[in-house]
Amino acid sequence: MANHRADEKRFLDERGSGGPLAPNGLNPATIMEKPVRERIIDCYFWKDQCFALNEADIVDRVVVHVKFIGGTYGDAQRPSPFLCLAFKLLQLGPSDDILREYLDFGGEKFKYLRALACFYIRLTRQAKNVYNLLEPYLEDRRKLKRKTRMGTALTFIDQFVDDLLTKERVCATTLWKMPKREILEDLEVLEPRISPLGDIEDLLESDVEEMDGKGRDKSPGSEFGEV
Amino acid sequence: WDDEEDDVDDVDDTDDLDPESEYAAWKLRELRRIKREREAIEGREKELEEIERRKGLTEEERKAEDDEYIAKQKEEKDGKGKMA
Repeated sequence: MANHRADEKRFLDERGSGGPLAPNGLNPATIMEKPVRERIIDCYFWKDQCFALNEADIVDRVVVHVKFIGGTYGDAQRPSPFLCLAFKLLQLGPSDDILREYLDFGGEKFKYLRALACFYIRLTRQAKNVYNLLEPYLEDRRKLKRKTRMGTALTFIDQFVDDLLTKERVCATTLWKMPKREILEDLEVLEPRISPLGDIEDLLESDVEEMDGKGRDKSPGSEFGEV
Repeated sequence: WDDEEDDVDDVDDTDDLDPESEYAAWKLRELRRIKREREAIEGREKELEEIERRKGLTEEERKAEDDEYIAKQKEEKDGKGKMA
């Protein structure tokens, strides 16, 4: 980004004035809440590992340092490296092409990179793009470690993506209120989602058939005398 | 980040230790999501239906229904205060 600086000073000073906005119209400098922002720029990981990063360095940092997702953790409410790097992404404002690399190629290898990209997309992209970009990963069942103030828990990429799509608060950040999927479907902005499991009606039917011990030799409707 | 904490409650996030059960767990989560979405749609339809039904009633019928509902609510409330 043209107006990028190595540290966060200018980014945070431009709040509400000259800085470019995220594609969903929010100011990236205020997407995270003030106490969280301050914890981030105060923490050692930010100062030591997040100075003067570019989009490629983000990958390095995620691979080496991000071992869990989460917002602030522990009694001291330390910001997680995950959150610090999300904040760095807000500052960098990577383009869609870069995000696609994070999600696809990088995401296949490094699950935490995919999680980070999903989180960033949810914060900054328009509703339609959020659904389109994130929903494919409801199929990604890899495990993620998540730290909260209470302790460590196990979660999954699909679970995390689902949280991003349906919850109001994830990783110490209040997510902007996105229109529900069915509203966008009614407006014909989105196609109905097809689960990777296939059509649920088929699934139910095949389960029943399996239980009955009957094969699939019958054509639909044959039980009504139609051929 | 800086200190390697030896978490007692540490969680193992290694994948593919048991692909089959991991797939089964994912399938369960996916089915839960589908169920949740369907229930949301059903709930909304039910509410619309109820609104339509109420619109179809006459003033007296609506009143009677409301009174019945209030009476029931009151009964429940009274019942709470007493020991069984």
